[in-house]
Amino acid sequence: MTDNDCVDTGASNCDEAMERLYEYLDEEMDDATAEGIRSHLSDCGGCHDGFDFEKRLKVVVRERLAEEVPQSFINRLRSALDDEAARRY
Amino acid sequence: MADQANFADDAMQYTKQLYAAAMRMTRNPADAEDLVQETFLKAYRAYDSFTAGTNLKAWLYRILTNTYINKYRKASRRPDEVDLGNVEDLYLYRRIGSEESVEASRTTEDRVLDGLVESDIKKAVEALPENFRIPVLLADLEGLSYQEIADILEIPIGTVMSRLHRGRKAMQKALWEFASKRGLLPENAERP
Repeated sequence: MTDNDCVDTGASNCDEAMERLYEYLDEEMDDATAEGIRSHLSDCGGCHDGFDFEKRLKVVVRERLAEEVPQSFINRLRSALDDEAARRY
Repeated sequence: MADQANFADDAMQYTKQLYAAAMRMTRNPADAEDLVQETFLKAYRAYDSFTAGTNLKAWLYRILTNTYINKYRKASRRPDEVDLGNVEDLYLYRRIGSEESVEASRTTEDRVLDGLVESDIKKAVEALPENFRIPVLLADLEGLSYQEIADILEIPIGTVMSRLHRGRKAMQKALWEFASKRGLLPENAERP
């Protein structure tokens, strides 16, 4: 399917789904509203594919923002906390 | 009330995540290390005011974010209310495939998602103005809820949503430019 299929379900449904794209992907909506979006996505290939891409992109962004913490820094952090504890007690 | 003696055991499991956020906030390793260390020391000193069993991760992020804002934000006290312009929804998606078949479009999508390297994603986040960058980091890197982000930044939840929406779209515009430079896009790639 392509996003041309959007016209089958009426542009207003698509607009509404798109407006709530991130709330849906971030799991920030109630079950009934999420079910409404899911139902639209199963009817509308264009929105389905767009949502699917955004979902995959979100995973890619999260994975590729990861950092390795230098061991030297972890050591420094631990000794800073130890020093702080020694000062206090 | 949390026991200070347990602080390192409780909190240090979040070092990797806090460091990743600090790297994108400060944009360099030396400042990121200082920021994380200062966050841990502040949290340690205040640990007896933290209620054990509540959301330690969100509490640490609150300290990290406030420390960053107070220490590293440039002279102006107010976050720069930069206008990101009007970027359309599904910005990247709409620009990476005009292929006839689902299979061909999917191949292009895979090529873009696989081909954007870590430095592209990091630069795209770092390019965001601060008042968009921090909500995007808290949501996309850390997976904090809108309410947690609203509490940390002391802004209404509607503002969190609007900044996330606009920040993510602006990020996609930057990613599209990286994808284009790397030759990941087909020619005339634009969906109808």
